[in-house]
Amino acid sequence: MKCRFMIISVILVFLPFITTGQPAAEEFVSNCVLAAGNNTTYLKDFRVQLPKAGPDATAPVYKANMYLMKNIKYRFSVCETPESAGELIITIYDQNKELICSLDKSTGKKYNSIDFVCNKTGLYTLWYDFLNGEQGSGVGVVYMIK
Amino acid sequence: MTGTISKLLAVILLIFVCSCRNSNTGHVGIGFPAADSLPAGEVAELSYEAVTDIVQNMASPVEISSILQEMQIPFTAEYLAPTQESDRLTSNFQKAVMLGIYGADLGYLNIYGKTGNSVEVLSTIKKLADGLGVGRYFDFETLRRLSVNKSNLDSLLFMSVNSYNQIDEFLRENDRASVSALMIAGIWIEGQYLATQVALVHPDRILTDRIGEQKMILGDLLMLLRPYRESSAEYNSLCNMMEGINKAYHDVHISYRLGEPETAEQDGRLVMVQHEESIVEMNVSQLEEIAGVSEEVRNKLISDR
Repeated sequence: MKCRFMIISVILVFLPFITTGQPAAEEFVSNCVLAAGNNTTYLKDFRVQLPKAGPDATAPVYKANMYLMKNIKYRFSVCETPESAGELIITIYDQNKELICSLDKSTGKKYNSIDFVCNKTGLYTLWYDFLNGEQGSGVGVVYMIK
Repeated sequence: MTGTISKLLAVILLIFVCSCRNSNTGHVGIGFPAADSLPAGEVAELSYEAVTDIVQNMASPVEISSILQEMQIPFTAEYLAPTQESDRLTSNFQKAVMLGIYGADLGYLNIYGKTGNSVEVLSTIKKLADGLGVGRYFDFETLRRLSVNKSNLDSLLFMSVNSYNQIDEFLRENDRASVSALMIAGIWIEGQYLATQVALVHPDRILTDRIGEQKMILGDLLMLLRPYRESSAEYNSLCNMMEGINKAYHDVHISYRLGEPETAEQDGRLVMVQHEESIVEMNVSQLEEIAGVSEEVRNKLISDR
C-alpha cells in the first residue's frame, strides 16, 4: 500500500515534465527565429495555440500589444507547427485600424513574413489567427531589420 | 499511521502538481500556452490589465543597443554596471532590479560582439536568477559557450533575449508580477541611461527622438509599478525616483502628422511603409535634465547594495 502511494507520488511529480513538450517547443521556436535571414535582430516571439472556431462563432485570435518605434524597420514572421490544420496569419492594428495583414484578402496570397517601416512610435496590436478559423499552434517572431 | 502519511503525501503532491501547471488546453507534440486567446469579436477597449500587459511586452534589452550600433557609436565599457559585489545583493527587490540592469548590459555587449567580456555578466545574471528561483530559464552553460566561441551571434542574441522573456512570463504567470515589474524597470532604466549618456556625447536626431518617446513608455511603466509602491520602502523609493524622471519629461511633447501608408511586394515579402508620423519636441536643456535625473536614478539603484 505504502509502495503504491510512493509510486503514484513519484509519477505525479514527474508528469508535468513528461507531458509539456517544452524542449520541442523551444527547438521549434529557435528554428523559426533563426530562419529570418541576415541583418535581423530578434526582439520577441509570441507562441500561439488556438482551437478551431465553433460553427457560428468568430475565429479565435491571439492578440498581443507591442510598442513599435519610429525609424525602425520591423519584420514579423510566422511559422506553424506540423500539427496545425491551418496557416498562421498576422494582422497589425494601430488603434483598432488595420494596417497590414500577411494574408492578401483580395488575391488570397499568404506571406510568411511582412516588413513594416515604422514612422510613428506608439502602441500597436498584433493579432494572430489561423486561416479559416482552423485549429493550430505556431509562433510569431518580431525582429528589427538592420 | 504510515499509510495515512503516504496518502497525505500523495494528496499534497497532487495539489502541488495541479497548482504548478498552467491552465492550458491539453496538447500533444509541440505545445504552446493558449493564454490571451479570445474570439476576435470580443476584443474591445484596453482595460487596466491590458495596459499592464502592454508594458510587460515592451522591454527588449537589445533595442537601444542596436540603434547605437547602427549609429556607429563606439562601444564604451564604462557604461556597464559593475558586477563586483553582486553577491552582496540580499533582497529580492535588489536582485530583480539588477537582473534587469544586467540584462540590458548583456544586450549591449552582445550587439557589439563583445562576447568575451560578457561571461562575467552572464555569471552574475545566473546567480541573480537562481536567487529569484528562475535560474532554470537561464541556460548559463550554453550562453557561456556561445559567448566564448563567438560562433553564432544570432543564437546568442536569441537565447539571451528569450531567457528574459521566459523569466518575465514565468513570474507573471506565478503571481510574482511585482518582481517582473522590477526586472522590466531595471531593463528600462539601464537602456535609458545608455541612450541618454550617448546622446550627450554624440547628439543625434534619431537617438534624441527615441529618448523623447520614452515619455509614453515611462507613463506605462509607472502604471505597472504604482500598485506595488506601498509593498515596501524600496518599492516606494523606486516609484518616487521614476516619477522624478517623469517630471523631467513634463514639457516634452509628441505630436502626430497624418499620412497614408504604402504597401508593396518586395522579394516575395509584403512591405509597408508608414507615412503617418510621430514628432518629438524636446530641446537640449530638456534632454540634459532627463539625462541627469536618469543617471542619478540608475546610479542610486546600482549602488544600493
